[in-house]
Amino acid sequence: MRGFYIVGGYPDREQFKKCLNAVAAEGFEFIEVGIPFSEPVADGPVIASAIHEAVMNGVDIEAIMADVREMKQKYPAIKATVMTYANIIHGYGEKRFSDDFGDILSGVIIPDLPTRMHYWMIEKGLSIPIIPFVTPVSRDEDIEAVKDTKAPFVYYISIMGVTGSDKKGAVNNRSETAKKLTGKPVVTGFGIRTKEDADRAIAATGGFVIGTEVVKRQKDFDSFCKYIAQFR
Amino acid sequence: MDKKMFFGEYGGQFVPETLIPALDELEYWYNKLKNDDKFKSELDTLLRSYAGRPTPVYKAENLSKECGCEIYLKREDLMHTGAHKVNNTLGQALVTKYMGKNRVIAETGAGQHGVATATAAALFGMECTVFMGEVDARRQEPNVKRMQLLGAEVVRVQDGQRTLKDATNAALREWVASVENTHYIIGSIVGPYPFPEMVAYFQSVIGIEANTQCKELGFDPDCVVACVGGGSNAIGIFQGFLDNPKVEIFGVEAGGVSDKDGEHARTIGMGKPGILHGAFSYLVQTPQFQVADVHSISAGLDYPGIGPAHSALNDSGRVTYGYVRDDEALNAFRMLTRKEGIIPALESSHALAYVIENKDRFKGRKVLVNLSGRGDKDMAAIMERGLV
Ligand SMILES: Cc1ncc(COP(=O)(O)O)c(C=O)c1O
Repeated sequence: MRGFYIVGGYPDREQFKKCLNAVAAEGFEFIEVGIPFSEPVADGPVIASAIHEAVMNGVDIEAIMADVREMKQKYPAIKATVMTYANIIHGYGEKRFSDDFGDILSGVIIPDLPTRMHYWMIEKGLSIPIIPFVTPVSRDEDIEAVKDTKAPFVYYISIMGVTGSDKKGAVNNRSETAKKLTGKPVVTGFGIRTKEDADRAIAATGGFVIGTEVVKRQKDFDSFCKYIAQFR
Repeated sequence: MDKKMFFGEYGGQFVPETLIPALDELEYWYNKLKNDDKFKSELDTLLRSYAGRPTPVYKAENLSKECGCEIYLKREDLMHTGAHKVNNTLGQALVTKYMGKNRVIAETGAGQHGVATATAAALFGMECTVFMGEVDARRQEPNVKRMQLLGAEVVRVQDGQRTLKDATNAALREWVASVENTHYIIGSIVGPYPFPEMVAYFQSVIGIEANTQCKELGFDPDCVVACVGGGSNAIGIFQGFLDNPKVEIFGVEAGGVSDKDGEHARTIGMGKPGILHGAFSYLVQTPQFQVADVHSISAGLDYPGIGPAHSALNDSGRVTYGYVRDDEALNAFRMLTRKEGIIPALESSHALAYVIENKDRFKGRKVLVNLSGRGDKDMAAIMERGLV
C-alpha cells in the first residue's frame, strides 16, 4: 500500500484539490488528508509550520471533506483516510463525523489517540475504523491489543520522534509481529523520504506513507507531481 | 473503561502511542514509591532541609483590616526557588532517579517551574533541558538566566503564540524522541495520566500542612482561595480541605483584559471540554475546535487548558471558579507589597485580588489564600506598567 499525506486546505483550497487529485490520478492505494489542528504535537517543523499557516488562514472541515468527496467520486478505488488530532474529531462530534464522512473514509488516523483510548471515541459514536499505531517500543501486549482491528492497515511509526525526524528507532521485529498478528498490511510512516526507503518498507511489511517530503512540495504543484511520480 | 485515568469524565491519556510504555513505567514507579517509606523519608528530608518546608501560615493583619475579613497567607513564596513548583520537581526528580533515567526536560511559563526543575537537576546531577516560549522568555528574562546558571539548556520556543502552551508542545515532542532515557517533569496537574495524579500528590503537602497549621491556630478557614493556571498550587492547597464541607473553596482564573477572544485565559469560565496535552478537560477553543489564543499579564496563568481534576471539581460544584482581570491583579500586587511588605508573584496576586474584589462575599470570614510564589521574577512586567 502506497500512500501520501497532504495538509487539507493548504496552501489554499485550489492547490490542495490539485494535489489531492494528483495522488489519486497516479493510482496510489491511499491518501491521508490532514485536517489542521493548532497543536500538532506529533509533527516536526515542516508539517507543523504548514499546519500553523493553514490554521491562521482558517480551517474549514466541511470544505476539506467536500473536496475529498469530489475526489472519491472521480477515483472510487483510492482509500481515503483523515489524519487529525483528537480535539478536532471530538469537537466536531464523533457521531456526526461518522455520519457525515463515514461513506468516503476507510479510516481515521489520530496521532494523539493511542490504542487504549480508542474505546473513548467509539463509545461516543465514532464508527469509522481507527487506524492503530505500532512503534519500535511497542510491547507484545500493545500489539496484541490491535489484533482485531477493523482498519484497512496498521500504521508503523519507524522512528522515535515527530514527523520529518531522522532519529531511527531500534530496528526490531515490531512491524513484522504486527503484520502477522493482524493479517493486515503494515504501513511504515514517519521518516520515509526516498524511493529506496519506500521500496524497503514495501518489501518489509507491505506499505509506506510519505508526509514531510510531499507537504514540502504542496505549494509547488510541478515539483509535487514530479516527486510522487517516482513512487509509481 | 479505565476509570483510574479519569477525574469524573476528565483526564485520560491522549498522547502518541510511542509514549504509552513510558507512561506505564511511570505509573508503576509512582504507585510503588508513594507507598515506599525510604522514598517518602528521602523526599520529606529534602523538602525540609533543602527546600524550606514547612512554610508558615501568616495572618496579614494590615490587609485584613483593609478588606474587612481575616486573611491568612500560606507562604509558598518562601520556598526555595520562590514558588510551590519545587514541591513537585523534587518529587519527580527523585522518581526519575529511582527509574534510572539521567535526563529531565520541562516546559515553563513564568520560568518558576523551569528554575525549580533546573535546581532539582543540579542537585541530582541530571542533564536538563527546559522549553520556554519566546514571549515568556522575554518577560521573565531573569529566570532564563537562572536556569542557565543552574546548568540547564533553555530552548526558546518560536511556534504558535510562543507561550506556555507552545513550550508544552515542544517538550512533548522532545519527550517522544528521547523517552528511553529522559523523564518529562511536567509542571502542573495537566498532561496524560498519571501526571495529574502524581503532581497533585506532590503538591498535597501544601494543604495538609495548612490544615494542621490552621488547627494549631485554633480555627478551620471558612474559605480557601488559590489562583489556577494548570492548577497545581490550587489542587495542592485544596486537598487539605476538600473533605470538609464547611470550607468554601475558590479557584481564580486569569481574566486578562476582557472576555473578548484572545484577551483572557478563563479556561473554565469561557472554555468547553476538549483535548490538549494528553488530557480531556476544559479548554479555550475557537468555534472550529482550534485551541484559542489566550492572554494574561501573568505568564504562569497564560494557558488555554486546565488540569482535569479542576474540571471535575467545577462540574460537581465543590469548587467555585472565578476570575480577576490584569489590573485587579496588579492592584492586589501593589496592596500586598505596601501593606505587608511581601512582593507576591503576579499569579498569586490573582488569588488575593479575588478576595479584594469580592469583599462582600468574604466579609468577616477567615480566608486562607495560597501565596503560591514571590514576585522577583515579575520585575520587568511591573516596571513596564510604571509601578516603580
Ligand atoms: C507562583 C506561581 N503560581 C501559580 C502558577 C500557576 O501554575 P499552577 O496553576 O499549576 O499552580 C505558577 C506557574 O508558573 C507560578 O509560578
